[in-house]
Amino acid sequence: MKKILSSLTLVVIFAGLAQGEGKPVKPVTVPFELLRSGHMAVQVKINGKGPYRVIFDTGAPISLLNNKVAKEAGLLKDAEKPLFSLFGTMGQVSVKSFQVGDLKAEDVNTIIMDHPTIEAISRVLGPVQGIVGFPFFARYKMTLDYQAKELTFVPNGFEPPDVLQALMSSIMMSGGAKPAAKVIGPAGQWGMTVREEAGEDETTVKVTKVYAKGPAAGAGIKEGDRILTIGGRWTDSLADLYTAAGLAKRGELVKVAIQRDGKEMEVSLKPISGL
Amino acid sequence: MRFSWLWLSLTGLLLVGPLFGEESLKKEGTSKKTEATVYEVPYRLTDVKHVLIRAKINGKGPFNFILDTGAPALFVSTAVCKKLGIEPDKKGWGTFDKFEIEGGVVLSKARGRIEDPFQIEGMNSMGLAGAELHGVVGYNILARYRLEFDFTQDKMKWTPLDFVPKGPEGMSGRSGGPETDAMVGLLKLMAAFIGKKPMPIVTPRGFLGIELTDSEKSVAIKSVLAEGPAAKAGLQAGDEVTQVNGKVIKNARDLRKQAAELKPGQSIKVTVRRDAESREITVKSGEGL
Repeated sequence: MKKILSSLTLVVIFAGLAQGEGKPVKPVTVPFELLRSGHMAVQVKINGKGPYRVIFDTGAPISLLNNKVAKEAGLLKDAEKPLFSLFGTMGQVSVKSFQVGDLKAEDVNTIIMDHPTIEAISRVLGPVQGIVGFPFFARYKMTLDYQAKELTFVPNGFEPPDVLQALMSSIMMSGGAKPAAKVIGPAGQWGMTVREEAGEDETTVKVTKVYAKGPAAGAGIKEGDRILTIGGRWTDSLADLYTAAGLAKRGELVKVAIQRDGKEMEVSLKPISGL
Repeated sequence: MRFSWLWLSLTGLLLVGPLFGEESLKKEGTSKKTEATVYEVPYRLTDVKHVLIRAKINGKGPFNFILDTGAPALFVSTAVCKKLGIEPDKKGWGTFDKFEIEGGVVLSKARGRIEDPFQIEGMNSMGLAGAELHGVVGYNILARYRLEFDFTQDKMKWTPLDFVPKGPEGMSGRSGGPETDAMVGLLKLMAAFIGKKPMPIVTPRGFLGIELTDSEKSVAIKSVLAEGPAAKAGLQAGDEVTQVNGKVIKNARDLRKQAAELKPGQSIKVTVRRDAESREITVKSGEGL
């Protein structure tokens, strides 16, 4: 079980997303209202209509607007009525102009739905018409500051994948055959062998052999050392250790926290090109 | 779009019930200035694009949490709390003596709800996230930091603020309310029909013990680790790799690609040029990195 839990291969997409060369883009700051319920609310304009007050939710892989807004902003003509609908769900539409504060984004996937939790919040804290989530904020490098009650956005070139498709493929995989084991390798060669040791209900990873003249030997890693973190990532299981080593680039120093004779220490290691 | 109501289970929008408001935390305030550390917090996106971070509680774990400004507080699953022996008080809150987030953020005496939001239960019942989820990190934790999200980077930045967030005020019912409570049943029913998506299984790559020269036009073995799998099979420094398992190799990238799926114990056939002669050497990969 532990192995499965910790088998968190990184699925983040880093495909050629370097910031556009050219001139730096000016950050846009959007103030937010902190609701008594602990939620953040922002003002949005949808296809120029509004402003509407919506919840800003980093835990939402979707953006969502209620039927009232959808009607006013002319979103319903493109919406496909689902076969089985709860809470007035009208399916996903692509909103041409989705403006949060002074920040305007185009073609943002949005679900039309009267969300019961939103309605519950509206009853107590005044009208709330939807949620801004991942399809909007993932396009930006975003800073969230609760003290200043501000969100700051700079475009980063990231293209948010369609969560609808992700969900559907997730469901399609349900109950299917067991997936083939995914092989994860380090980005470079370290020159050591490790073993996962089972404790009471946790696991640890210890070094079982250090090859002479390899990067691990050069960094001062010794047989019997427990590897605690690689590049700030926990390495309590083999899967976690290999995932962290997979992100430690060849030819670049990475910090490795180890435990030796009960003492914690940190070494720097440069993985080399090799297998 | 047949299962459109499933969106509900993904929004991560949670409430804290009216009776559960934290009186002691109602006041917003500032705390003593903490040192200006910037924590680099590793994260990943789940299969359905939630931001997943990991935390250890009282040294146990790591556990998987959704980072969720749509949640007013920290939520930790009842199963995890039971395992750790952390009891909820009468209002359903628990105290986590050491709550440690991957990347170095450590909170002492963190307060959180001990309950299972239907979103988490729902996603777990179908395995939608591609990882078992154990809770949600929400406002009462997040508000102490300036948070920087950038999905082109593999870590978030968390800067401690001189700020103690106000405790969230309760609203109606428990985290979901009656309408959303019905969702758990629906999701579980669906899971019973469709089944649960199996969690991914990962295995480390097999190890050869060779150092490579990095050039676009050719790839040669720069050095061989003594007593490593490649050394035992007879590969030598200076060997130029031309083929692997019958596939032509032009550079180190090709070679890495051919070896990407190699499992420990599996053999690969390496064709090398040595002293103007071509030789085929079979290397049984070992464990290591």
